[in-house]
Amino acid sequence: MIHKILRKPQAVIGLAMMLTVFAVMVFAPAFAPNDPEKINIMQKFAEPSEKYPLGTDDMGHCIASRLIYGARVSMSIALPTIAAIAVISVLLATVCAYIGGIVDRLFVIVSDIFMALPPFLVAMTLVGLFESKALSIVISIAAAMWVWNAQVVRTYVIREKNKPYIITCRMSGCSQMRIIIRHIIPNIFPHLLVLYSTGLSGVIIMISSYAFLGLGLETGTAEWGAMLVGANKLVFSHPELIVYPGLCILFAAAGFNLFGEALRDICDPKEN
Amino acid sequence: MLRTENVTKKYGQQTAVNGVSLEIKDNAVTVIVGESGSGKSTLARMLSLIEKPDSGRILLDDSNSDLISAKTDRRLIQLVMQDAASSLDPHQSARQVIDEPLKLLIKMEKVQRARRIEELCDMVKFPKEKLKNKVTELSGGQQKRLCIARALAAEPKYIIFDEAFSGLDVTLRRCILTMLKKLREKLETGFLIITHDLDTAMFMADRIYVMRSGNIIETLDRPKSFLDFKEDYSKELVRAAEYKRQALQI
Repeated sequence: MIHKILRKPQAVIGLAMMLTVFAVMVFAPAFAPNDPEKINIMQKFAEPSEKYPLGTDDMGHCIASRLIYGARVSMSIALPTIAAIAVISVLLATVCAYIGGIVDRLFVIVSDIFMALPPFLVAMTLVGLFESKALSIVISIAAAMWVWNAQVVRTYVIREKNKPYIITCRMSGCSQMRIIIRHIIPNIFPHLLVLYSTGLSGVIIMISSYAFLGLGLETGTAEWGAMLVGANKLVFSHPELIVYPGLCILFAAAGFNLFGEALRDICDPKEN
Repeated sequence: MLRTENVTKKYGQQTAVNGVSLEIKDNAVTVIVGESGSGKSTLARMLSLIEKPDSGRILLDDSNSDLISAKTDRRLIQLVMQDAASSLDPHQSARQVIDEPLKLLIKMEKVQRARRIEELCDMVKFPKEKLKNKVTELSGGQQKRLCIARALAAEPKYIIFDEAFSGLDVTLRRCILTMLKKLREKLETGFLIITHDLDTAMFMADRIYVMRSGNIIETLDRPKSFLDFKEDYSKELVRAAEYKRQALQI
């Protein structure tokens, strides 16, 4: 597997970008040149220098330090959110689609009801439910997005369960649970990788959109989305304040997308 | 003995199998021949308990198929499908394909299973060095042999080959059929071969059923030559087979 990843440039680039984001997230205190929360009004809008590699914002915060800590905040919300979406959608969709009949029809009806509600509306309704802002964001995005992912997973499972090899598995004595876990999920796994890696980039952007609407983390938090929002009134005078967090979001989203798509090609036996 | 009694199967208004009664004897090769759309594969799916008939009964040693639900009974009838590639899980290695029925149906221990897998490879002439390969990395002939090995691993009483030899080149088909013929003599397993190829039928069969439009129109026991066929439709099939042979010689 490692050999196959290393032989595919797309996978190497995607992996490198992902690892960069994770490394920055984990080792933020080591990388950050300054305290991201420290306000220094005397140094506001400072030019890039040795002390402030990317300059400072309107409050005199070190931009580089805030971007580095922003990875930690954004990813610590995005990763649990996508994990929750993945678990709920794979569990529900796989079981319902495989069992079929009335169970699947019921699932479709429930999905249709959820899909009739705009995801952002669901998320906005639920976002204030919990005391912890981060937990609210995780739950509200998961509640709004699981159904869209579950519908895609259901399509994959239905396509897979009608393939002739499933009959062979039954002939070989596989139970329904074994067919789902050992045969169907490994075969749809490459597609799931793409679905959730692209989903992760979508979640990062959605978290940023929350901040943009004032529903995200507290103003002033070192988070990419919040930084974008904070800078929107300075778009003409100091466009770099929007460009930097925007590039960070783009970098993380592109990294996950590239790696996910490359991994799909690597894991798909028909591609090899 | 595996028997059907007045088995009928309809898809909408279309009757695929119409009141068919036949017997598949233990330790013998039974062949069903007929053109495409004659209902052979539908019958094979019902006999391998994948589909239920709309009416009539399928009897395994005089037990009704409705009562056959336990794994131990299901394993008694195995199916080898036409397209070997799509009938194997692309994520499995060749070893895993054979290992699964040994583990789940025969309940063998790991060491015994490893030994049995090698025996089965020898039986079907599957190269052992390819056992670790993914099924997608095998040739068509190797995939076909793997399907047969998997079916044999379940220690079935009957194996149904549903057009399992079509799509193979003549040499490979002859090779696999000869291997099966030898296996049949060694094993106590009844084979049911579904085919549209009369040459395959004549080469293998102890009994031939000719099927047309969902009905059995002729039954031949131990046919010696094509002249044994009496029905007009069967003679048409013989003529078509002769035409194909001549065309191949040209």
